[in-house]
Amino acid sequence: MIKAVLVFNNHGKPRVSKFYQHFPEDTQQQIIRETFHLVSKRDDNVCNFLEGGTRLNSLIGGSDYRLIYRHYATLYFVFCVDSSESELGILDLIQVFVETLDKCFENVCELDLIFHVDKVHYILQEMVMGGMVLETNMTEILTRIEEQSKIEKSEAGIAGAPGRAISAVKEMNLPQKIKDIKLPDLPSIGSLKF
Amino acid sequence: MPAVKGDGMRGLAVFISDIRNCKSREAEIKRINKELANIRSKFKGDKTLDGYQKKKYVCKLLFIFLLGHDIDFGHMEAVNLLSSNKYTEKQIGYLFISVLVSASSDLMKLVVQSIKNDIVSRNPVHVCLALQCIANIGSRDMAEAFNRDIPKLLVSGDTIDSVKQSAALCLLRLLRTAPDLIQLGEWASRVIHLLNDQHMGVVTAAASLIEALVKRSPEEYKGCVSLAVSRLSRIVTSSYTDLQDYTYYFVPAPWLSVKLLRLLQNYPPPEDPAVRTRLTECLETILNKAQEPPKSKKVQHSNAKNAVLFEAINLIIHMDSDPNLLVRACNQLGQFLSHRETNLRYLALESMCLLATSEFSHEAVKKHQETVINALKTERDVSVRQRAVDLLYAMCDRTNAEDIVAEMLTYLETADYSIREEMVLKVAILAEKYAVDYTWYVDTILNLIRLAGDYVSEEVWYRVIQIVINRDDVQGYAAKTVFEALQAPACHENMVKVGGYILGEFGNLIAGDHRSSPIVQFQLLHSKYHLCIPSTRGLLLSTYVKFINLFPEIKAQIQEILRNDNNIRNPDVEIQQRAIEYLQLTSVTSTDVLATVLEEMPPFPERESSILAKLKKKKPGAAEDPDAAGGKSSPPTVASKPMPEISVNASYQPQGASGGSADLLGLSSSAPPAAAPASNDTGCLVDVFDMLGTGASPTSNGLTAAADENYKSATTPDLEAGPDKIHEFVCRNNGVIFENDLLQIGIKSEYKQNLGRVGMFYGNKTSVPFSNFTAEVSLPGELSSQLMAQAKPVDSQVEAGAQKQQLVNIECVTDFTVPPVLVINFLYNGAQQHMTVKMPVMVNKFLEPAEMDAATFFQRWKNLSAPAQECQKIFKAKPPMDGEQTKSKLLCFGLSILEDVDPNPENFVSAGVLHTRNQQIGVLLRLEPNSQAQMYRLTIRASKDAISTTLCELLESQF
Repeated sequence: MIKAVLVFNNHGKPRVSKFYQHFPEDTQQQIIRETFHLVSKRDDNVCNFLEGGTRLNSLIGGSDYRLIYRHYATLYFVFCVDSSESELGILDLIQVFVETLDKCFENVCELDLIFHVDKVHYILQEMVMGGMVLETNMTEILTRIEEQSKIEKSEAGIAGAPGRAISAVKEMNLPQKIKDIKLPDLPSIGSLKF
Repeated sequence: MPAVKGDGMRGLAVFISDIRNCKSREAEIKRINKELANIRSKFKGDKTLDGYQKKKYVCKLLFIFLLGHDIDFGHMEAVNLLSSNKYTEKQIGYLFISVLVSASSDLMKLVVQSIKNDIVSRNPVHVCLALQCIANIGSRDMAEAFNRDIPKLLVSGDTIDSVKQSAALCLLRLLRTAPDLIQLGEWASRVIHLLNDQHMGVVTAAASLIEALVKRSPEEYKGCVSLAVSRLSRIVTSSYTDLQDYTYYFVPAPWLSVKLLRLLQNYPPPEDPAVRTRLTECLETILNKAQEPPKSKKVQHSNAKNAVLFEAINLIIHMDSDPNLLVRACNQLGQFLSHRETNLRYLALESMCLLATSEFSHEAVKKHQETVINALKTERDVSVRQRAVDLLYAMCDRTNAEDIVAEMLTYLETADYSIREEMVLKVAILAEKYAVDYTWYVDTILNLIRLAGDYVSEEVWYRVIQIVINRDDVQGYAAKTVFEALQAPACHENMVKVGGYILGEFGNLIAGDHRSSPIVQFQLLHSKYHLCIPSTRGLLLSTYVKFINLFPEIKAQIQEILRNDNNIRNPDVEIQQRAIEYLQLTSVTSTDVLATVLEEMPPFPERESSILAKLKKKKPGAAEDPDAAGGKSSPPTVASKPMPEISVNASYQPQGASGGSADLLGLSSSAPPAAAPASNDTGCLVDVFDMLGTGASPTSNGLTAAADENYKSATTPDLEAGPDKIHEFVCRNNGVIFENDLLQIGIKSEYKQNLGRVGMFYGNKTSVPFSNFTAEVSLPGELSSQLMAQAKPVDSQVEAGAQKQQLVNIECVTDFTVPPVLVINFLYNGAQQHMTVKMPVMVNKFLEPAEMDAATFFQRWKNLSAPAQECQKIFKAKPPMDGEQTKSKLLCFGLSILEDVDPNPENFVSAGVLHTRNQQIGVLLRLEPNSQAQMYRLTIRASKDAISTTLCELLESQF
């Protein structure tokens, strides 16, 4: 089972954190910090699995877990999983997650994760549920995300309509516009024929 | 426009940019507090917010939370969003709830209500949101609320694939939270058949669910084996174009393959020959594919391929039946040991650890010894080195023990601090286990102390002393060696302890040599004395007094030391007392008495090595006998659990599981005199003190008794049941009553009048069978006449991962106060395990509700007015006060709820009858909650004395 999915940058700033086992809020932050501490001091060419130390064990409560991580440019993607998961399988799952983010955001970068934290969560939700792998097929995941975006757009359309109407009214500079109204030239009376 | 960027929320983006532009942490906090105040006022304001605004604010809160700030409001707004009919608002509401609201929150009721609406929605995306929320929170309440709906969704023909997938995992989550509430019954076979589903995503999710179900009741779900094998076979033999979207970098459905291979590891090799052949073919195909040239150079391709391969190897090791496959697996892992991918080396070392435990492949694994030792020396990654240590430990046997121990000792000098303690334990165990020549053992342990003294735990040095004392062939050598070791200018304190102890016992064996004459030995030890901590000094004082017995010629020098103000007036009571007592003892008694009191320690009884027990404690399952074949260890980990709390003095808690004072000769100054064991030796010592009439309180334990006590605390005593869970079962009949690393005990019970049927379930959590398993119900003291309990015999063998059931029939003869005790004994890995667990059988189980009207109630209430018939308690509410919960607790307790009896509607009035064989006892209850003070007043009256008190106490623990 996946206990947590953590994404933080090279300075340890959390970008996404999702826990599938309940921890109090401050413990969550401590786990993130400790995980960063463990992962960040490792070289890039060592293995992608590691066990937490005594401190992380006491935070997580036990030692039946492993950190499986990948480091991409400025971001660390860390999955904390127990012994029932295949290490390489999870490593690939991280890759699928990142590739999916990349497809959704077009060349995903740290900023995308910051400004669209909710979206990142929705993507993750399509892949992992209650700590178990839900879907691994990227096409399928993307379809579901697109479906959501469509709904969002259509709802923004309905919700946006009154807003747009009001702003249209607000923008009107009435006095000026009245002045600007050019009355059509009246035909000269003289030419009127009865 | 990318798929998800959509129309962003401008306010949110501005806020995030602001935060990012903050130059300091203070500025950031200031900005956040400003925003929190803003949002709070918006939420509190009179203006109703529209969905978009709420969504925006909730998003901001999420962001603030992610930065590590507490969010203590906004929950209600998020809950309100759930009932919105706009998908995006609902979605953000659920997100907030699953990230920020804990299962115990008061709001959960509202959330459950919203989920109830969404789960029956016609719109599948709404259903999915609801399922995700359940899976994220997964509380017991949710299990109760949805344990019917979700299985229905899962097996129904109309459910679309994405919902089915979610439903499977959702159910899995609830199964973990509340196994007793999830019963699939007749749907079990339909769930198994999900393995045949068209949609691979559904199969993957279902496989996870089925694995959990299988773990719970293997027999019921046995049918999944053949289905899993045929599904696996179809995947393995398909080409990568067959499965299209589920092919990942040219590997067909790797995740599903891994899941299926894992699922099969829950069963022995299939019995049906056809299925078995098919599975063997699959495994062979997977092994063959590993030899094919890669279809892509990308690391993802090899990762996916190897994920399947490793899982296949794990299954081969698990089945442990086909020597051909095992050897192929071993060769494959051997290739990986020198692969350039660090990940593969890591996993290969780990899997090989399992292989080493199989008798078929143990020899094959040993071929790789050189490579593994090399890994220990050259790997750059500590995680990999750790795995190498584990493998060396697992592959060690009598033939290679000396080499492996030597290599591990060499490595220990440079080993990472994080793994030193564990390495020390492993070296100590291997040295003891495979020692042919005990001088080698003594050398090894002393080397350990020299190289890594700080990491040598008490257990290790206790053990070397136990062994030296029990084997007279090594005593002289040990004395000589410690004497030499102590000559180093700087010695580790542990060395001083071992040296002090051994010389105190066997210093006479080397005293003939003038280089180690008595006075030289004494001076050598005493040169360390002032550098040691008090407990070590105490030990040395005991050595000195033993020296007086061994070497009467240096008595004067030693008494001088004892008399020294540094000792006799030492602020440390222990040292002071020892100095005084030893001085008195050696001045007053005759040499005969002295010789009896200070005689050589008797051999220790042979027990399981305390070190092995410690290693097991550190890594359950991983410390199996290195040469036990067929065992399978759970993945080992570096990390150590925090040391058990150390009691100040073992004599305070003679049963304590942790080593007490660091002193084997511990004379305890503060043990209660009543605890004096009546052995002859002790009697003698106590007499001496009585005769002397010294002012100091007499020590209650004789030297040997005290040492034995300490010895006991150094080894693992009986396993004691963990924290008392019994109170959780006052209002519950089913659940898990005990669990440790080895065993899980569950209970299911039903009661009718004065009779009860209790099913006990014993689950073996290890990968080794338990033998000689017995479980008996003991009725301590008075209980034997109050309760009748008849336990059916239980199978003496509990297979690895299996569960055994035992039925206990119980009859309540008369009322009782203490619960019966379950006594469990079994052999695990050759070690006797003993545990006692309180059975949650309380007197209230024999209560049945009674109905009556107000007039009758008051009439009877008045009749029971004798002081002994009533018990009243006023106490603070522990969980939040909740009328509905109180009601259900009273009902589960066995009482009725009488409506419209108490004039105050907040109060509860109940009645019941307690059934015993001899009589029926009426019970009346009144519970008055005071929500302002968060207090309860509970009054119980019963027609038999003392029962009201028992019931009151039981019930009080529930509120």
